[in-house]
Order: sequence, then C-alpha cells, then structure tokens
Amino acid sequence: MILSLAAVETFIGQFHILQDINLEVPEGGVTVILGRNGAGKTTTLRTIMGLTPPSRGSITYRGKSIKGLPPYAIARKGIGFIPEDQGIFTDLTVEENLLLSTRKKDDETKSRWHMVMDIFPDLKEKLKQKSGGLSGGQKQMLAIARTLLNDNQLLLIDEPSKGLAPIVVARLADVIRELKKHTTVVLVEQNFALALAVGERYIIIDDGSTVKSGVMSELGKNKELQRRYLGITAPSHGGKVV
Amino acid sequence: MDTFVNLTLNGLATGMMIFLVASGLSLIFGLMGVLNFAHGSIFMAGAYSGVWAYSKTQSFTLALLAGMAVGIVVGYLAELTTVRRVYGKPVAQVLITTGLMLVLNEVLKAVFGPNIIAVSVPPLLAGSWDLGGIIIVKYRIFTIIVGLVVAVAGHFILTRTRIGMIVRAGVQNQEMVQVLAINIRRTFSLVFVSGAALAALGGIMMAPALGAVNPNMGLENQMLAFIVVVIGGMGSFVGSALGGILVGLAGAYTAWVFPEASLAVNVILMAIVLLLKPNGLFGMGGGRNA
Amino acid sequence: MPDVSLPTRMHKIRGLLSLPRSSRTVPILLLLILVAVPLITPSRSMLNLLTEIFIMGIFAMSYDILLGYTGIVSFGHALFFGTGAYMTGLIFARTGPKLGYLFLAIGGGILLVTVMALIIGYLSLRLKDVYYAMITLAFAELFFIIAEKWRSVTNGADGFSFNVPAVLQDRVVYYYVSLVLLALIVVFLRRFIESPTGKVLQAIRENEKRAEFLGYDVLKFKLISNVIAGVVASFAGVAWALQQRFVSTGVMTVDKTIDALLMTTIGGTGTLYGALLGSGITGMAKNWLSELAKVHPIFERWYIIFGLLYIGIVLFFPGGILGTLMRIRSTKNKPSVTISAGD
Repeated sequence: MILSLAAVETFIGQFHILQDINLEVPEGGVTVILGRNGAGKTTTLRTIMGLTPPSRGSITYRGKSIKGLPPYAIARKGIGFIPEDQGIFTDLTVEENLLLSTRKKDDETKSRWHMVMDIFPDLKEKLKQKSGGLSGGQKQMLAIARTLLNDNQLLLIDEPSKGLAPIVVARLADVIRELKKHTTVVLVEQNFALALAVGERYIIIDDGSTVKSGVMSELGKNKELQRRYLGITAPSHGGKVV
Repeated sequence: MDTFVNLTLNGLATGMMIFLVASGLSLIFGLMGVLNFAHGSIFMAGAYSGVWAYSKTQSFTLALLAGMAVGIVVGYLAELTTVRRVYGKPVAQVLITTGLMLVLNEVLKAVFGPNIIAVSVPPLLAGSWDLGGIIIVKYRIFTIIVGLVVAVAGHFILTRTRIGMIVRAGVQNQEMVQVLAINIRRTFSLVFVSGAALAALGGIMMAPALGAVNPNMGLENQMLAFIVVVIGGMGSFVGSALGGILVGLAGAYTAWVFPEASLAVNVILMAIVLLLKPNGLFGMGGGRNA
Repeated sequence: MPDVSLPTRMHKIRGLLSLPRSSRTVPILLLLILVAVPLITPSRSMLNLLTEIFIMGIFAMSYDILLGYTGIVSFGHALFFGTGAYMTGLIFARTGPKLGYLFLAIGGGILLVTVMALIIGYLSLRLKDVYYAMITLAFAELFFIIAEKWRSVTNGADGFSFNVPAVLQDRVVYYYVSLVLLALIVVFLRRFIESPTGKVLQAIRENEKRAEFLGYDVLKFKLISNVIAGVVASFAGVAWALQQRFVSTGVMTVDKTIDALLMTTIGGTGTLYGALLGSGITGMAKNWLSELAKVHPIFERWYIIFGLLYIGIVLFFPGGILGTLMRIRSTKNKPSVTISAGD
C-alpha cells in the first residue's frame, strides 16, 4: 500500500468533520473518493496533506507515518495535491507557477519540463502570461502540469472537473489517464461518469466515515449503492462524454 | 522657477527618505500581512546604534553596517521569540508587536539615554552645490541614490528571483506554497529579518537628515511609513516608492504655501486615497475587508 | 430512577445557564469597600491615587469595548479622552468655575467625539482590522499635532490650568463623584454588551463572515461600538481634567492609548472588570515603581517590566489575569459537573 489511513479523525474548529476514515490506496492506478456534498471528501485530502491535521488515527505513506508533519514536509515525500480551486497563483505568470514547483535543477527536471510542454502545448504558448488570464480548463491543466514537474508518486486531486465544459472534461479524462503512467492518483470526483471512466477502485465517504470500498466496475453496476450514497437516481447523462 | 525646482528636489529627497523607512514595513506588512508595530523601534535601534558607531569610528559606512546588523539581530530575535507564534492572527500580531515596541523603546532609552543626541552629516556628504539659484544639498542626492538602489534591488529580488517568486506566491496563497514543498515559515522569517534590516537602514539614513536622534522618532516615522504603504497599496514595493515620493512632494509644496499644514497633509492624503481607492494606488487588493 | 432525576437535572441545567451569583456579589462588595475607604484612611494621596484608578478604569473599559467586545485594536483612543479633557479645560478656563458649564463640556464632548468616531470609523473599519490600528493612530497624531501647534488656545505641551467648581475641589467629594461615575458606567456598559447590539458585536468578534451571512451590517455595528467607546472615553477625559485641573497635550499622546491597551490586556479583555483590575494594578505599580525610582534609576525604565509582562500575557494567557482566574475556577468546578451529569 502506498497510502493507508486508519481511524482518522479531524476537527475543524469545534466541528468533528472526519469521524472514522479508513482507507488503503494500492500503488498505481486511480482510486476515486466518492460521496455526497459535505461528506468529508475534501477534508480527507487536506488531512492527508497536513493542511487540516488529524487529531486521532494514523496516516502512513509507504509504511512510514506522515501524521503531524507540516504540509511542505509531506509534499517533499512525493505527495502532490491539487485543491478544488486549483491553487494557481494568479498574480504570477504561467512560467513562474511552473518554476515554483520545480525543486531541483538537474537533467531529470529538464526532461520533465519538456514532457510537460509536450502534454500541454497551450501552456507552452502562454508561459509569459499572467496565469490569472487563463480559462478554467487551462488553470486545471496548469495545476496538473505543476505536479508533473517533480517525482511525485502520489497525487491527490480534488474535483478537477468542477465548472469545466464537457469537452474540457473529456480532455481532462485523457490527461488523468496519462497521469497514471507516472503516479498513483487519488481523485475526489462528483462527476460519476468521469469517475467511472478513469477510476480502478472507489471509496465512499458518508458523514465523515468511510463506508464502502471496492472495484469501480462493480460500483458502476450496483445501482442500489449509487442511489444510497451518491444520490444518483438515473444513469449519468455524462456517460458519453468520456 | 528656481523655487519650484528646489521644492521638487526637496520633496523627492524627503520622499525617498520616507520610502527607505517604509520599505521594510512594505515588505513585512504589504507582503506578509503582519502589521509590525515594533517597526519604528527597530528603525530607532538602527538610528541609535548607527550614530553610536559613527561617533566611535567616524566612518559612515561602518555606521550603516553596524545599524543594519543591529536591525537584523533585533528582527531575528523578535521573529524567533514572538512574531512567529502569531502568524495568521492579525489582532495578536498588533498586540505582540506593540509589546515589543514598548520593551525595545525602553531598552534603547536605558542603553543610549533618554535625551536627544545631535548627529552631523558625514563630511563627504555635507554641504551643497549652488547651480545658479538651485541649491542641491549633497546629502539629499545621496538619499535619493540610496532610495533608488533599494527600490530597484527590492523590485529585482521580488520579480526575478526564486525567493521573490515564493514571497509573491505566499502573499496570494500560503497554503498552496506549502503544498509545493516549500517551507513558507522560513521564507517569512527571512522576509521579516530583511524588513527589519531595511527599517534600521532607514533609521541611520534619517539621523543625519534630522540632525539628531530622539526616543520619539520611532513611532512618528512608523506612522509616516504606514501612510506611504497604504497610499502605495499592499504588496507593492514599487507602489511604496511612488507613495513615498507622492507624500514627500505633497509635503514640500504645502510647506511652501502653508507651513503649518504640511504635517496634516499626509493624513489627509491617506484619507482621500482610502475613500477613493481602499486598496491603495498600486495595490493587489489585499486591503479591503474580504 | 429516571423520573426522580429529571427535575433535579433541569434545575442543575438552569443553574448552569444563569450567571454565577459571585459575578454580582464581588463587584458590590468591592463597591462597599471603596465607599468606606475615605472613612478609614484620611490619606489624600491614597484618595487621589484611587480616583485616578477609577478614571483610568473608565477609560480602559471603554477601550475594552473595542478590543474585547469588537476585536479591533485602536491606537488613537487618547484622541477621545483628550477631546473630553480639552473641552472641559477650555470651557472652564474661558468662562468660570460654574457647575452649569460642566454640562456644556460633557455635551460638547459627546457631540464632537461622535462626529470624529464616525468619520475615522468610516474610513478605517471598511478595511482589514489591522488598518484600524494605524489609521486611528494617524488621526490621533494629527489632532495631537494640532494641539501642539495651536499654542494660542492650548499652550501646547506646557498646558494650562483652570479652576473647577468649588464643590468638586474637595478631594473626598471628588473621590465619591468619580466612584459614582465609575459605577454608572459599569452598569451602562454591562447593559450595552448584554443588549442585542452588544451580542451582535460579540458575534462579529467571533466570526465576522458568519455575522455578515446572517445579514448583519457589520460596518454599522462596528461604528456603533466605535462611538460608544469614544463617548465613554471622553467622559474619562472630562473626569481626568476635573481632577488634575490642568490640561496639556499629554492627554492626547499615544502613551495614553497604550496605557489603556496594557490595562485591558493585563487585566483581561472582554470582561470589563478586567479593565478595571488592570487600571488598579497599573496605577498601584506605577505609584510604587516611581517611589523605587528614587532608590535606583533603573526603575525609571519600569515599562520594560510591564512590556515583558504584557507580551507574556498576550502569548500565554490571552484571557489576562481575570480571564485566567475564571478559567481556572471553571475547570476546578468541572469534575462536580460531570459527576452530576452521570448520576
């Protein structure tokens, strides 16, 4: 297992947001965290990253505890995080956003830079522009590009499809498939069609606790489970998009 | 015409001087969002220790170095012991740094005495040139040069270096900087200490211009610095420089027309800017209550 | 068993919700002691010191409305104190020591302070809270400079003295006058903070965003707080001028504001009584340390000790002396509460 959480509890202020999170993420592929709005999906990612530290439970990354470490130390271990709002520094140029993410100046970083430029040609054209001027989809691509610049082995992505047009979501699905070649991905996603298209495994969080996990293709068939925890009543209309 | 040129030169020099005092505050307050009420005390610590070093060595260069060294040490200790504990808590920051101000001011009085100490301009920079009615005071030119160097160097560091990039990114989203594996606390410590060094530099530069150092100079100049940062806009180093020049020029012209009002003009200028553009003239939008 | 315990439990809950009885007995007991002081000690200097503590206590309480109940730090509070003091001084110096003029001074002070508090508040309270600190400082300095420069009226830092109505000249009488004023203002401010407006202010202090979402006009409430604090501070200024029979620019200095800040923080913010306690401690300590300064000049730098004490309190005991005492007492009481909940 690359990442394991056991009996994790997190408070935000006086609110007991995460009550009992248990999850195992194997090496490789995409694990999708599903659940209703407010179930605690985002807080789970932020807790792993050390942004909202847990009060109880254990978090281990490659067998070593990362609980209580500051976010930058967790990031240095090779865990990348893309928040829901993408966390782009809009006052900085596209290039500066990318440069901030590079940690070394070696050949490997150079080759990664070229790789990123190949995957995202439209970013290459806008390197010198303020990133605040990018479209929503481009911002999401920039956020993903940032994480590809160093040897992240685990990537936490929070709702990347939010607010994106269907055509951009299709492109996003391609990019996530590309990501799989480089890193393990944990994805929080409300767009069930996208989750189904890119995910291998799923974990469902409800009311701050993990309630179910398994293989994605089985969840796709289990309408009862979808209705109960995800509030999906009809087959998702977005199925064709990806 | 001569009068106008003279006034403008005076105003520019004063403006640059104010910018020197404000530059440190611009870094600490404008970029980190920490309102450092001990800024004036660090400024004063620089001024007093610079004056002391000058009286011992007769070297203005050594005085500048000594003052800045004291600023760095005081800034480092302040950050390490107290300021670091209150990042992200604006009210606690104001309260803590006020305490630092009280302690520092009293320590300075205990070390250097509570009285006014006269300071003379170093011989090399003393005197003036008379160009057909236009009087150019050498120390003023020196001030303008030092101010320009600081402004250009600061702008360069903020826009062209990795540390500058981190600082600018941190202004926008501290959390995300950490997520990119950067220890922002360490960057903030560095910024705080740099701000303290600049405050101290402002103090030593100001001392010969005023002709004396006194225990009240800290708060007066801190206020002026704050006004300049507000006018210039949060998070803009260049804005602070332009704000400084604006305040300097406004002060110089008013002093000519109506001397009694020259002190009030700064506060009025600030009030007008706050009414019309609460984020300052060149700000990035950090000021308004979000 | 459940039907027996239900009424007692209800009773206990009600007991927990209402204020502890001691919150009223202590102040009343203290008031009685203070009433008795002039009967016990004939010491003029003691009465003067206590009078000073009462007046600075009023000033500190007005500061607590801002710091403790609204969560904003002012560095210009002395402006309002000074306005009250100058109003009193100038009116008595230019007219005569008649009691009627006192009401003119109070009324004029209220009017002027309200206008100033609204203007300064409007400029600064729309911005982040830290701006308030510096903008209030800037305005206080502006008026301080005006007072310094306008020597024909104020005589600057040298100040001027004046006569007050004969009845107020007696130290014992004035002691009682200031004690009554203090008691009235305690009652008034307690009513204010327990009023709906006061509750909204505290909600803003706790979470400004949430208060805004609930539909409260945050700026309006902060302005109200600014005006109330300013007016009460001007009362303290009036009382101060009457006691000193002398006004100089000293009443407008930042040091005055910082005194209030120290008193409130050391005593305990957000409690009103903490500000009074702070005034008492600071007043006594100042008196004592200035005596010591005659022994060794190092005690002239007593602000170092106060500054360090203050930093320690802000860092480690944010509730100040009173807040910390109250917390200790409530944790001491906790075991008995859990036991009663368990049975």
